[in-house]
Order: sequence, then structure tokens, then C-alpha cells
Amino acid sequence: MRNAPGSPDLLVVEDLSVGHGAAPVCAPVDLRLAAGRAVAVVGPNGSGKSTLLRTLVGLLEPLDGTVAFAGAPVDELSAAFRRDVAAVLDDDAFFVSLTGREHLLLTARGHGVAAAEEVVDAEVEAFGLGERADALPSALSSGQRRRLALAAAFVRPARLLVLDEPERRLDAGMRARLAARLAALRDAGTAVLFASHDADVVGTVADEVLVVGDDACRLLAPAEAAGRIAEL
Amino acid sequence: MATEVAAPLDGAAVRRWTRSATAARARTTLGERLSEAWGGFVTAGIGVAVAGGSLASLRERIALAGAPVTGTTLPASLTSAALTLVALAGVVVVLARLGPVSATPAAAAWWLPLPADRRSLLRGELVRLTVAAGAVAVLLALPLVLGAAAAPTAASVLGGLGAAVALAVAAVGGTALLQTGRRGRGVAGVAGAVAGAAAVVPAVAGTLAAAGGGPVGVPVAGTLPGWAPAVAAVAAAALLVQADRGLGRLDAGRLLAGGATARDAGGSLLSLDTRQLGRALAGRDRPPRRSRRFSRVRRPWQAVVAADLAVLARGRWQLGQLAVAAAVPVVVARTEGLGALPPAVWAGCLVGWGLAATAAGRAAREAHGAPELDRLFALSAAAVVRSRAVVPLVATALVCTLSGLLLGVGTGLLGSWALLGLAAVPAWAAAALRGALRPDPDWSGPVVSTPMGVLPAGVGATLVQGVDVGVVGSLPLLAALGTGGPTPLLVAVQGVWALLLAVAVLVQLGRRRSPGS
Repeated sequence: MRNAPGSPDLLVVEDLSVGHGAAPVCAPVDLRLAAGRAVAVVGPNGSGKSTLLRTLVGLLEPLDGTVAFAGAPVDELSAAFRRDVAAVLDDDAFFVSLTGREHLLLTARGHGVAAAEEVVDAEVEAFGLGERADALPSALSSGQRRRLALAAAFVRPARLLVLDEPERRLDAGMRARLAARLAALRDAGTAVLFASHDADVVGTVADEVLVVGDDACRLLAPAEAAGRIAEL
Repeated sequence: MATEVAAPLDGAAVRRWTRSATAARARTTLGERLSEAWGGFVTAGIGVAVAGGSLASLRERIALAGAPVTGTTLPASLTSAALTLVALAGVVVVLARLGPVSATPAAAAWWLPLPADRRSLLRGELVRLTVAAGAVAVLLALPLVLGAAAAPTAASVLGGLGAAVALAVAAVGGTALLQTGRRGRGVAGVAGAVAGAAAVVPAVAGTLAAAGGGPVGVPVAGTLPGWAPAVAAVAAAALLVQADRGLGRLDAGRLLAGGATARDAGGSLLSLDTRQLGRALAGRDRPPRRSRRFSRVRRPWQAVVAADLAVLARGRWQLGQLAVAAAVPVVVARTEGLGALPPAVWAGCLVGWGLAATAAGRAAREAHGAPELDRLFALSAAAVVRSRAVVPLVATALVCTLSGLLLGVGTGLLGSWALLGLAAVPAWAAAALRGALRPDPDWSGPVVSTPMGVLPAGVGATLVQGVDVGVVGSLPLLAALGTGGPTPLLVAVQGVWALLLAVAVLVQLGRRRSPGS
């Protein structure tokens, strides 16, 4: 199922400048991501990783350059785009009166998933939420809420998965399981783009690493980028 | 990852699903909800009755009033029109800051990424907003239409209420329409400028007319023509329909930004935290072109003053607020009828100068929210409070003196009026600091039943900290207004009284902020 390098690109980013207001937060970015491939975005705090991801999923306007998904400019207002792209960014917001399981069911049914309850049950188990999935978000720990947000990306179909530091607030065991699941997802044909500070997650999942900086944004092989991640 | 796909939920179904899941867990009974609604209805009724009675009393006093405090040159209809414009612009500012259509952080995280059509997803929000704006318009307009006319008729009351509701709905529809067309960014700024101009222009015109010895000759109809509410209603409905059609064009980023503001503002309102409410609605500061170098700062107290000046200069609203603050007392004093009532002119001074104190105290409010910054300086708590008084002192001095000067035009006592305004400055500068540095309300106390609902005892006393010093400190001003104008004795009494209060406030604040006190 996994595509080899050179297959048609799902996400094409050209000379993209991102930032809040008029000032770019990092050097312009060029990136191509095909189905079945994974790119990790690394860089120090404040280097613009989150801003870049928010721009790539259409939540921020680019300052300059272009972003195309499946051959069309990224448009968050398009239902087709929202159906194809799943994103878990740094949000930690939940409906106060819905349980964790209800959040997942809403996501699955909202995306028209057949047998939504079975799919949700499976992800509840996979993310180690168990009976806690039936608690309100206010009764969950910070790590459990993070697992819930991540599980939402798995209860629905997507061609591109975008994650901002998915390892954040997870224990070591869950990090390893998440990395393995992301790698499996990539191998099944989903494109994965994620920002991370975790060398193990990057090493397990990423085919290429985009190092974000003020002077230049460069794509490296994971082995080349390992030293850079260790420095951060 | 799930792959088998059936028909996804549409927007209305998503809203219904969320509502039913929430309702299944609701702990309040129908009886409790009805009881709460009745309590709110009674509270609103009391508020309307009190406000309507006060307006009727004001109207009767105006009819019996004697000579004006200073020369009145503005027709009452012109001031009413300006007041309506200020209120409408204020509503538009708030709506624009809130979106007006927005998504709570939860809705942004769990609704907006769904492929459901956004128009039906957001329609409920637009409907809620419209109903809320209409209800607030009725509550605000009812006392006006009942109390302002000598013999209100059913037709005049209904016409007035209809016009108010139509204006409020048009404001919602208009700002939502601009938002859907991605032209909403500058709306708050434009509306703020309109509100400022609506206050400042009559003040300037009234003063110039006083200097020239004649009234302002602007024809403004005193009553609404009968067809006006109907036209306004049609326009409001058209705006609302157009806005509804554009809901599908609202992007998630801006919906989330408006939702975050609405959440902060709503939370502040519920907890009666007016400082946080102001912060939530004010929006971001003007971005600086470059960082200041503070090259003239040599001592710690100068650093506090320089930082406060930078905060004041970068605020989006503060300088306009100061201009409006200087204008309000002048508009009241120059308006036919109102200007002949010393308590009304005094109230105008309190409102205007209170506004100046609020603007001038912004840096202190910011510092109250981040006290660790003050601890960076080698200054005692009392010295920090004294340093922090400098900017409010300068800002209120400019406003109060300018107001006094403008009030004095045409009276032959220009200098005395200006000095009277200047003499009140210490009280208002102290009010700015006391309001900014007041403690948070204590919600743990025993509750008492009030016309505003059940509140813990002492919350009201905490909330009025700041305004109280300004009001008490301006009592000699009331005496001056009631006895025909400023005399050297009254100016001196005003100055000494305001100074004493200010010293007491600074000493108290210095002790309160000292470690261990």
C-alpha cells in the first residue's frame, strides 16, 4: 500500500511564508508530501512549526507562496478538504457536557463512518482510555484529554493526517504505541505530517525531516536530522 | 483509521446530536429553569421600572429648572441623536469584537473540522445572537420610551421599541454580513471612531456656539416618523437574510478567534470581573514598529512611568476614550434642559472623568494582572504605587482641565472653570489606581438577595472601588455647579479635598500591596 518516493504528491508547498500579522516567523518553506509518506517538522520553540501546520491546514492565511492539496489550493471552507484532512493541533477544548466517547462518536458520525460505535470502541481501547472514555472531559487528566484528541483523528477516514507535537503529555509507553500506529497508518497509504521534539517518534514515523529555521528550512533524511533533533 | 463511509451528518444534525447528548446529562429540571427565567424577568422588570421612573423624574425637573449652569446651545434632539449613535456604535464595536458569529473553542475543535455544511452549523449561533440583541434592545429602550415622553401611548411605545429592536437586529445583520464578506476587520475601529466623533463633535459645536453667543442650528427631528420603524425592520431583515446566506464563507480561524473573545468576555461578565471584561473586548494593542529604547530612564520609578506611557500609547482605544471623556461633561452642560440641572451636569462630569480614569488606569490594570513585573524593580510597594500614579495624574489632568475650560467658554470665568476641573484631578487619578488595583470580588461570603439576583455580601463594595473615590472626591464640584459656578473658595476646597483623598488612597494601596500586609 505504501507509495515509493516519486509517486503523485498530495500536498505541495511552494515558497510558503507563514506568520501572524505581516512578519514571517521562519524562512520560506518548500515541501512535497505524497500518500503513504511521512514528514516530521522539527525546530526550536518559537521557530514557527505550529504556525506552519496551521497554515497548511487552512487555519491561517499564507503571507506568501502557495499550498495545494490534491491538486487544488488549500481551502478549509471546502467540505471535501475537511473530509480528507484530519488535524490535531495544540487545542485542548472539549464540550463540557459531552463524555469522551460522545466526542469520538460525534466525530465518527459527522464523517459518516459506518459502524461508528465499533470504530470508537476500538480506538478507545487502542488509546488506553477504557472506562475513562465515559467521563466528562473535566474529569480527565491532561494526558487523557490528549489521548482523546488524538483518538479523534483515528475514528474517521483521512488522506492526510497533520499533528502538532502528538507526543506531548503522553507517557513513554503511549508515545511508542502512537509512533507505531502512525507508521502503520503511513504504510497503509495515509500521508502524515507532524511536528515533534521526540527523536524516537521522528525516527519511527518520518521518511523525511523538515528542519525549520530563521535562515532556511531544509529537508533532511531522518539519520541526518537526528543530531539536529538532539541539539534542540 | 476508519474507512467505511456512510452519509455524514449535516450541520443541523450535528447541532441536534450535540444538544440531545448535552440535554441527556442536564441536572436542572424544567421547574428550576422556569424559576430562573421568572427571576430574570422580575430583575429586568425592576431595572426597567427604576430607569423609567428616573427618566420621568428627570423630565419633570427639566420642566421646572431655572437658569443653566453654563450657556446651553445644543438642542435636546441633537444630543439624543448623538447618544443613539454612540449606543449603536458601541453595540457594533462589541459585536465586531465577538465576531459577531463565532465558534466556542469546543465547537471549533469538534464541529468545524467536520465535512458538515457550515451554514447550517452556524445558523443557530446567528439566531441566538439576533434574539439576544433584540432582548437587550427592548430592555434598554423600554425605560426610554416610557419615561422620556410626558404621556406615552401604546403606539409610541411600540414604535420606539420596534425601532430599537430593528436597529439592534440591523447591527447584528450588518456586522455579520461584513464578517462573511471578510470585510469585518476594521469595523470595530470605524465604529469606535464614529462613537468618538458623535461625542466630540457636539461638544466642540456647542462650545463654539457658546463663544459666538447663539445656539447650534442643526435640524434634528425630535420624534421618529411613523414609517421609520417599519423601514428599519425591513432593512434589518434584509441584512440578516444576506448574512445567513454568507455563513458558509466563515473560516475556522476567525470563528475561533471570535469564540475565544466571547468566552473570555462571557466569563468576565458572569464573575463580574470588569477589568477582565475590558481586556477581553479591547483586542490586541497596535503592533509597535520597533521596540522602545527607554534611553531617558535613569531610575526605577522612571521605568514604571515609561512602561505605563508605552502601554497607554499602544492601546487601540485609550486616546479616543480620553477625547470622549473630555467631551461628555461639555455635551451635558450645553444641552438644553439637562444643562439647567446641576446634578445632571455633575453626573456628566462623573461619567466623562470616570471614563478618563478607566483609560488612564489601563497600565495599572495590566500590572495588577502580572505583579511579578513590578517586583523586577528595586522599589517598595508604596513607591511602585506612587510611580504608577504619574500617568493617570497627567492623563486626567489633561481631560479634567480641558473639560473645565470648555465649560467656562462664554461664562467670563474661563480660568476659574479650568482650575475647578484641575482641582478634581487628584481624586480621579486616585480613582484610576484604586479601580485598577482593587482586590478580586470575594465569592465565598454569605449571600444576600438583591434586585440583581442573589450575590455574596461585599461584592458590590469591591466592584465600586475606584468610582467611589471619584464620586466622593467631586462633591465640592457639585456644590460649585449648584451655586452658580466656581468661586476661589470652592476651587480651593475642591483641590484640598481631592488631594486628601488621593493621599489616603495611595497610602492604603501602598500598604495593601506590601508583602505581609
